[in-house]
Amino acid sequence: MKTLNKVIATVCASVLAAGTVVAGGHGSVADFYKGKTVELYIGYDPGGGYDTYARLLARHIGKHIPGNPDVVPKNMPGAGSVKLTNWLWEGAPKDGTVFGAISRGAPFEPVLGNDKAKFRANKFNWVGSANNEVSVCATMKRNGITNWEQLKTQELTVGGNGSGSDTEQFPKLMNAVLGTKFKVIGPYGGGSDIVKAMEAGELGGRCGWSWSSVKGTKADLLASGELVLLMQMSGSKHPELPDVPLVMDLAKSKEERQMLNLIFARQALGRPYVAPPDIPADRAKALQDAFVATVNDPAFIAEAKKMDLELSPLSGDEVAALVAESYDTPQAVIDRAIDAIR
Amino acid sequence: MELSLLEVAVNALGVMLEPERLMYLGLGTVLGLAIGIMPGIGGVAGLALLLPFTFSLDAYSAFAFMLGLGAVTSTSDTIPAVLFGVPGTSASQATVIDGHSMAKNGEAGRALSAAYAASLFGGLWGALLLGLTIPVLRPIMLNINSPELLAFSIFGLSMVSALSGSMPLRGLAMAGFGVLLAMVGGDPTSGQQRWTFDSLYLYDDLPLLPVALGLFALPELADIAIKRMAISQTNKYDLREGMAVGLRDVLENWWLVAKCGSLGAMIGAIPGLGSAVVDWFAYGYAAKSCKGASETFGKGDVRGVIAPESANNAKEGGSLVPTIAFGVPGSASMALLLGGFMIHGLVPGKAMVTTNIEVTYSMVWSIALANILGAGLCFAFSGQFAKIATLRYTLVIPGVICIMMVGAYQASADWGDLLVLLIFGTVGWIMKHMRWPRPPLILGFVLGGIIEDYMRISYQLYEWGWIFRPVCAVMLIAAALSLTQPILSKIFVKREAITMPRFGAPVFMKADGFSFAFILVLVWMIWRSLSWDEEAQGAPQIIAGLTLALVVISLLWAAFTRRHSDGKQGAILDLVADMGELTRAMVNVRALQFLSWLVAFVLVWSVAGILVAALCFVVFYMRVQAQESWRMIAGYAVVIMCLIYFVFDQGFHISWPETVLGTWFPVLQAIPTM
Repeated sequence: MKTLNKVIATVCASVLAAGTVVAGGHGSVADFYKGKTVELYIGYDPGGGYDTYARLLARHIGKHIPGNPDVVPKNMPGAGSVKLTNWLWEGAPKDGTVFGAISRGAPFEPVLGNDKAKFRANKFNWVGSANNEVSVCATMKRNGITNWEQLKTQELTVGGNGSGSDTEQFPKLMNAVLGTKFKVIGPYGGGSDIVKAMEAGELGGRCGWSWSSVKGTKADLLASGELVLLMQMSGSKHPELPDVPLVMDLAKSKEERQMLNLIFARQALGRPYVAPPDIPADRAKALQDAFVATVNDPAFIAEAKKMDLELSPLSGDEVAALVAESYDTPQAVIDRAIDAIR
Repeated sequence: MELSLLEVAVNALGVMLEPERLMYLGLGTVLGLAIGIMPGIGGVAGLALLLPFTFSLDAYSAFAFMLGLGAVTSTSDTIPAVLFGVPGTSASQATVIDGHSMAKNGEAGRALSAAYAASLFGGLWGALLLGLTIPVLRPIMLNINSPELLAFSIFGLSMVSALSGSMPLRGLAMAGFGVLLAMVGGDPTSGQQRWTFDSLYLYDDLPLLPVALGLFALPELADIAIKRMAISQTNKYDLREGMAVGLRDVLENWWLVAKCGSLGAMIGAIPGLGSAVVDWFAYGYAAKSCKGASETFGKGDVRGVIAPESANNAKEGGSLVPTIAFGVPGSASMALLLGGFMIHGLVPGKAMVTTNIEVTYSMVWSIALANILGAGLCFAFSGQFAKIATLRYTLVIPGVICIMMVGAYQASADWGDLLVLLIFGTVGWIMKHMRWPRPPLILGFVLGGIIEDYMRISYQLYEWGWIFRPVCAVMLIAAALSLTQPILSKIFVKREAITMPRFGAPVFMKADGFSFAFILVLVWMIWRSLSWDEEAQGAPQIIAGLTLALVVISLLWAAFTRRHSDGKQGAILDLVADMGELTRAMVNVRALQFLSWLVAFVLVWSVAGILVAALCFVVFYMRVQAQESWRMIAGYAVVIMCLIYFVFDQGFHISWPETVLGTWFPVLQAIPTM
């Protein structure tokens, strides 16, 4: 009988202990993460850029989180990662064992009137972003357009990947704000299909093409001068592209600037990582610190270099500030931008 | 010093034959075979996980591993296709039609052996074509633009005439409905939501995998469960004999293998087409061109196995073309391969056919060697696999259902996948029993989206001028001929008179219920589309209207000719339900029972997770349906649960859905998948 009591007591004690751990009450952050598995959800299928960056992060960030949990990448594709973002907002466990890799555009979907996006991105716990994705507009030399001013008088066909894609929104917004004459043709299956069509002469160019990808895949066309860069799109110029005009510098009024910022701010947080709202503050902090430590980890940097992935990281706080700024844009400006990109 | 192409190719072979590289190639091949066997389980998730391990290998070994994995999934996917009527990947859907019929006739061994031999020669032929054309690939591809791709796709769609047998109206209607299903989701230009029921799941279009598994796999499994018998009662051949006959079949049909192999390589090279249609194209082509095909195809003709199998292995060589020549990946696995390029400092484009041509040739060799190894392994075991067809149904159904459920779910990791699987499974079963051909539906579904996109692009660029581009004009004429071929050949080749049937007062039957239901669905679709943005209305309404007209004509035609018809039914190029001695009522009751099992499976899954659901299903199904011994049940259940836990949970890291119990009692989340 004594032994039975002892067994019952032990069982009760362990259930209680398990309960406290799950509820996240006591114990340090390291105790919590020790022996646990942290899941890094990716809002896309395997194979693309977001997936590649996220899997790289998943291989390294575990050793920088206190308690050294296993970090496992999982794919939850859908609706350009809006599905995952919705889930992180509402459905995901809010104990710090889950965070996600979403698209740079997803945080701004609610602002831009997507009623399927059921979150407020300024309330998320931002973990960080791996790269400032400077995007460019490019054309082939044979088309005879060498600087962006010509775009105001000459039509240029550019490929689009369907409504809501960068390649569709960027040129349309510039048509509205800067008076350029891009004609968007689409929908092409992917960015590389657009580039192939451009090379074959079916299209004039591509507007919305990450500079790191241009360097990685079309270095030969750049070197031979066949590929002409007309503009770069981001919050600030890429250090390697001092002579290519930055779209933000071309705005003439405050309102124009705000419109451009609403769409192009996302470039700065090019590879964003986000944890659900309302997770314990010390764990959110631990994830953010671990991110900063990871992007400064020589092993991580070496592997990224080997994989030809550009790194210009932002901390979680910096991402949060950029997101918050967009959420403060006046409604009239937002409406004009929505009108332009539709 | 300039090396000749032949010398480069020989050098590349020397590089590939080094033991270490062969080992990685072999490893990839074995993994690829395993993935191909499991219905619905694609290699992409596994490949993404294995990719980092290839970083430390040299480029040749890394690509050997990845290509080995990709090249042979369409060799081993024949096994479930022939044995259970369940395509292992979307590339073996067409193999099901005649391959599974052969298995039912006791010819499983012959079908498998013919399939492997065809896979081998088709795969080698595809690799050879790729090797020969490498130097001219880029110039050729630069001349194939959106209008040409559109014309190819339209030509592909015209194959429905070959895939509808004696039911041309029903076939065309199904193709039209397939195109409509492809339109479900966001309109690519305006963003208008089309028939999405306001759900985020359908936002990205209907995924192919659960639709294909539902249409083709579930109905076969349902009929096995309804008949309550082994798939085949006998094996016509002993082990060696079956293998020998199958091999001889392929050698006798070498010209068909070469033609379908070429077709497969070409289709593989077109981004967006690929594995889901390549087998249907080849099957349709064979059904049109083979002697006596209209009598024997669909009833277990070995040529109906050889054609798709030689094409689907050849496509892997073709699909390398856009990837290496332009960095345009035709599929998710090619996108991962492209990621591997970066790591090894290779850039797709000109360099791959000039300075790095040796790497390119090593890839061609990888595909060729993987095909030899993969087909060899499968061939060696084909006699053993054939025995599975004679197993009791209660030993087949639980395992296949569990794997297929996981396979369908991982398409987009959403409950919607399972709902789509069950809905299309039900529709597919009804279609099979009511003699509505299913292949045109899947062809329309796959090609519909591509045609819509390229049509927009071509029209924006050239308006209707695209029709007159030389390649387009030729392909469109070919498509028109292919569509009208049955009538034309009757008039001009066979010189038969077209006789109109006698019309009489209309007779409607219970079976017409399907047509009426179909009409209701189409009317509902048109009605819904009236509230869309104006620019998004046109194409969907035209297609829906045409489909509706076809269904109505087909219904009325049948009703008005029924009184004087002799009751004979022509062949349809699809599996036909043969229920033996069972009465219709009994069949329907058992079908409902089977559906209830599946619904219960999904419900238990939603409450307690896939592991518990699989356990319950295995135990109850085997016990209730056939009083299997507890020892057998326990062993079976352990194997299935280990597979789900170690391979899918720990290996592929599938993101399982939240469960009711897991949400109410978070402590229970300690149980995997709950």
